Amino acid sequence: MKSDPGSFRDPSGRVYSDNGRIYRTVSAAAAQEYKAVRETGLLDELTDEGWLARTGEVDPATVGLEPEAGGIVLEHERIPFISYYYEWSFSALKAAALLHLKIHLRALAKGVTLKDATAYNVQFRGVQPVFIDLLSFTPYVEGSIWEGHRQFCEQFLNPLLLRALLGVPHNAWCRGSMEGIDSGELSRLLPLRRKFNPKVLMHVTLLSRLQALGAGDRDATLETMSMPPLLPRDKFVRMLGKLETWIEGLHPADTGKTVWADYETDNIYDSEENAVKHDFIARTVKEHKPDVVWDIGCNTGEFSETALNAGADYVVGFDFDQNALDSAFARSTGKALALLPLYLDAVNPSPNQGWNEEERSGYRGRICADCVLGLALIHHLAIGKNIPLRSVVHWLMDTAPLGVVEFVPKNDSMVKQMLALREDIFPDYTAEKFEGYLKERGEILEKKQTSKSGRCLYLYKRQ
Amino acid sequence: MSKLISAIALATPVILFSQPSYAYLDPGTGAFLIQALLGGVAGVMVVGRIYWSRIKAFFRRSPAKTPETLEPSRIDEV
Repeated sequence: MKSDPGSFRDPSGRVYSDNGRIYRTVSAAAAQEYKAVRETGLLDELTDEGWLARTGEVDPATVGLEPEAGGIVLEHERIPFISYYYEWSFSALKAAALLHLKIHLRALAKGVTLKDATAYNVQFRGVQPVFIDLLSFTPYVEGSIWEGHRQFCEQFLNPLLLRALLGVPHNAWCRGSMEGIDSGELSRLLPLRRKFNPKVLMHVTLLSRLQALGAGDRDATLETMSMPPLLPRDKFVRMLGKLETWIEGLHPADTGKTVWADYETDNIYDSEENAVKHDFIARTVKEHKPDVVWDIGCNTGEFSETALNAGADYVVGFDFDQNALDSAFARSTGKALALLPLYLDAVNPSPNQGWNEEERSGYRGRICADCVLGLALIHHLAIGKNIPLRSVVHWLMDTAPLGVVEFVPKNDSMVKQMLALREDIFPDYTAEKFEGYLKERGEILEKKQTSKSGRCLYLYKRQ
Repeated sequence: MSKLISAIALATPVILFSQPSYAYLDPGTGAFLIQALLGGVAGVMVVGRIYWSRIKAFFRRSPAKTPETLEPSRIDEV
């Protein structure tokens, strides 16, 4: 039994994992709240919608956990891959934000509210967002405010606005500032006309200004806090509803509409070369039956889709191109695929970070792939980023015991283009060396040339 | 709509006059006051009162700044 290092902030319970099963201890006080919330029927309703992680109460003795007297133990469904909002595309963050608001609205209708609004409480099954923290629900008291407002703004709204208003992706900022984007900092970046947009005014500009103003006059703030009822339920509901409508209409400012439709067209123009690749991947998946496939450099997810169609259970796709990720997200949504596309800069993957450097796990710590796809990837790292070829090959082989890797030789037009404006300092970048590095860690089960320029696919099996 | 106009009317001087505070921040103060505004007249009055005290303070401020009114990073320069 291992306790989850990311679940310590809420004292009402802790998360544990044991052989792939997920448990949560719940304190006596929180158990009472949980039962009160469960009796409203809300949790069943949300679970049926697929919005809430499936959960059941288990006998503590049978799983070897000891909650405090009066406490209980819950078992949650297992999420295929835990991801963090700094790894999500715009589309994923938007879907998660909308789920959060929808759940809160349903909760209020049943006399329940959410006591926080952290993006870490949302995970994904494919591209379906799912809420994972049952202890965030608490009985609603008429007139009480939305305690998670600021957190929602910092972890959902502001990151979305950064891209929607300024065309800047949220990933780097939120990875650095794990608690989100401060409204005051975002406000300082916005042009004046944006600041006075009524919605931006309320949730960004005024919020940050009142934060500063209130801190300067604590007596008056305390006086405000003692005035019940502060926020009538109808106004609370309207506030959430308006946020929902606003967020539904947000789109990245730095892309045209075409990007969203790209995934439909790129499949039509499948070249002969692509057909060979698709066939190779489909055969590999059918023969070796990997459950989880990681597609590094997934682009719009076309090969992830092939892996799924060939029988893989789940694909996590990684790419550093925001538009490609949004296209992959649209593909996965449109075709109901078990594909989760995530942001990854392969030369600087997510680290272990947060409290004690273990609150949020890094890339390596979350490796769970049975098979990895590395198509049109190696040359970007070895030549584009100067990572030694041997290191690239071994890094990829560390990701999964089985993999399909593409080698693009120097006389391919893509690599020629990459070397056109720089000195060729890569004497080791050859197919022979590449094969040698694969053999250092495993065996090559199959090799297939896919283009006249000499591009080859390799199927490796790690020792 | 009238509420929106009054919100903007209230917000404008707040944005123009208030300085970012570097004091210890109550994590929920901003959200709390926003929702007090949304909640109705009482909240508007409280925010208005805080804002009015800030305006008075603004005009009462002496031209020579004391170290307490400077941002922490600039204290060294005094």
